[in-house]
Amino acid sequence: MRGNYINRFRWLRNLPLRRALGVLAVGTLLMSAHQAYAADTTYTGEFNTLLRMGKDAGKRNLYPVYEYLRLQTNTTLKDGSDVSFQFGGWGRLDLADKSSSQVTDGDVQYALLSYQGAKNNLVINLGRQFVAEGVATELLDGLYLRQDLKAGFGAAAYVGKPVMTTVQEKTVDTVYGARLSHTMPAYYAIGASVLKSDRGSERYREEAGIDVWARPITDLDLTGRTSYNSITSGWMEHAYALSYAPLESLKLSVDLANINYRHYFHNMTMSAFSLKNGIINPDENMVSVGGSVAYNLTKNLTVTADFKNYAYNIIGESNYYGGKVSYRLPDSLLAGAGFYRMDGATSRLRYNELRAYVSKMLGKTDLTADFITLMYDKSVAGVKNSYIVTGAASHAFGKKVKVGADIEYSRTPDFDNQLRGILKLSYLFDTTP
Amino acid sequence: MLSILYACANNTSIARKHPMEVSGMPNCAECHNEQWKLLNHQAPDFFKKHGRFAGSNQTSCTTCHTRSFCSDCHTRKDELKPSLKHSGSPQRNFPHRADYMTQHKIDGRINPASCTKCHGRQNNARCIACHR
Repeated sequence: MRGNYINRFRWLRNLPLRRALGVLAVGTLLMSAHQAYAADTTYTGEFNTLLRMGKDAGKRNLYPVYEYLRLQTNTTLKDGSDVSFQFGGWGRLDLADKSSSQVTDGDVQYALLSYQGAKNNLVINLGRQFVAEGVATELLDGLYLRQDLKAGFGAAAYVGKPVMTTVQEKTVDTVYGARLSHTMPAYYAIGASVLKSDRGSERYREEAGIDVWARPITDLDLTGRTSYNSITSGWMEHAYALSYAPLESLKLSVDLANINYRHYFHNMTMSAFSLKNGIINPDENMVSVGGSVAYNLTKNLTVTADFKNYAYNIIGESNYYGGKVSYRLPDSLLAGAGFYRMDGATSRLRYNELRAYVSKMLGKTDLTADFITLMYDKSVAGVKNSYIVTGAASHAFGKKVKVGADIEYSRTPDFDNQLRGILKLSYLFDTTP
Repeated sequence: MLSILYACANNTSIARKHPMEVSGMPNCAECHNEQWKLLNHQAPDFFKKHGRFAGSNQTSCTTCHTRSFCSDCHTRKDELKPSLKHSGSPQRNFPHRADYMTQHKIDGRINPASCTKCHGRQNNARCIACHR
């Protein structure tokens, strides 16, 4: 019995924590050294405990308990710059039947030491972090630097080892890249970025791209990006969105995107997106064109109409269109409803989607109800209409403690008449004066 | 190194912490009149554009958000959907609401590239459970 219990915690030895703990040790050392120069130090943290309750498709009793832990300490130096250590991670323990192949599991989502300069928007991060710089949207263990330069220029660079959750193939050695930008804050920001990654002697990833935000006239803005794969010599992605607000209460948007699967998914090792196992067809090319109109009938009430056309080389065309209405009274009431139609070339891509939600704040108590249904033109696994209804309630005890409970009932192609519950407890601490 | 320092803008950094506490989904244009007003979180296209804003200068996000705000969705390994962790925020544009076991097969056909923005491009333990 005791042996089983000890086995449950054996995962702690296997967690990808060693590097994160190394950063923690270095971070603690540097933070201590900085105390001598510090103007003030704050400590913040958040503990979120969730207990899920329900059965899976095999009628097994699932009672996994999750702990999400966020910790941060900030030291403001006398020159106004800031040194922080940030940690986020989660762990799970199954209290009844196994919810996955392992009774316990967990992950370090980020663990880094960060310096933020008082001038030039200088940032130096060391550790596990999510890097979003132009063509890069990477979770890596490594180093990241950025700084504003003269005359509106800015530069960022990063190097590290990509974080992989499961290693099926030979791991990537390093990923590194940079972004150079030029900004005129009122008018535009344009960036050029590159990313390179090697796997042994193999050229694994080589991507280059530009990203842009422009506001040539007031109330009109353009955002977008283009990326190029220099290994396959082809454009991976173009994605641009243009918004125009002719009135304060009216916003018009159009967007255009193109994904070339051969170039975009090249060397992608996530099994669902690998070009090697037949799920993604490298000859596919997707072009989407969309538009939306949003109008504020009152300050609190907004109606939106959306349309999007997807055109593919192989699987034909799909249209997604519909509208929604949302109402908000700050700190009091949120409500919304929407109806959309997906009209595609295959039966899987033909369905109606309806959603309605309401969230009411009564002092320190929040109550939420959310209903979503999908009505398939052709039944999926014998189910024509799938739906999920969720009720959630939470109550805050002061600013630090919150307890809550959710209950969810669903009827779907995978789960028939399923009832699930969640109990939540969150605790915050913050030493900020 | 010296030449890089010489080339510095010598401007003041974005405030590490927003001077006023902000809750919910703010309309930054209510107070700001310069480029910050573009960060109107209530705008119908903000979700589409948030990656572009974060990709040009993350410090503008960290003024109000902690890093965990990103990792709620942009994580390579997590077992709880964002909408489940934040069931009291039905107005937020969380992906994977409702029956995602069925819906992911549909979304995967519509635009599989959109999945990689959060799930990454490396091996993912959740995918490998079925997609071998």
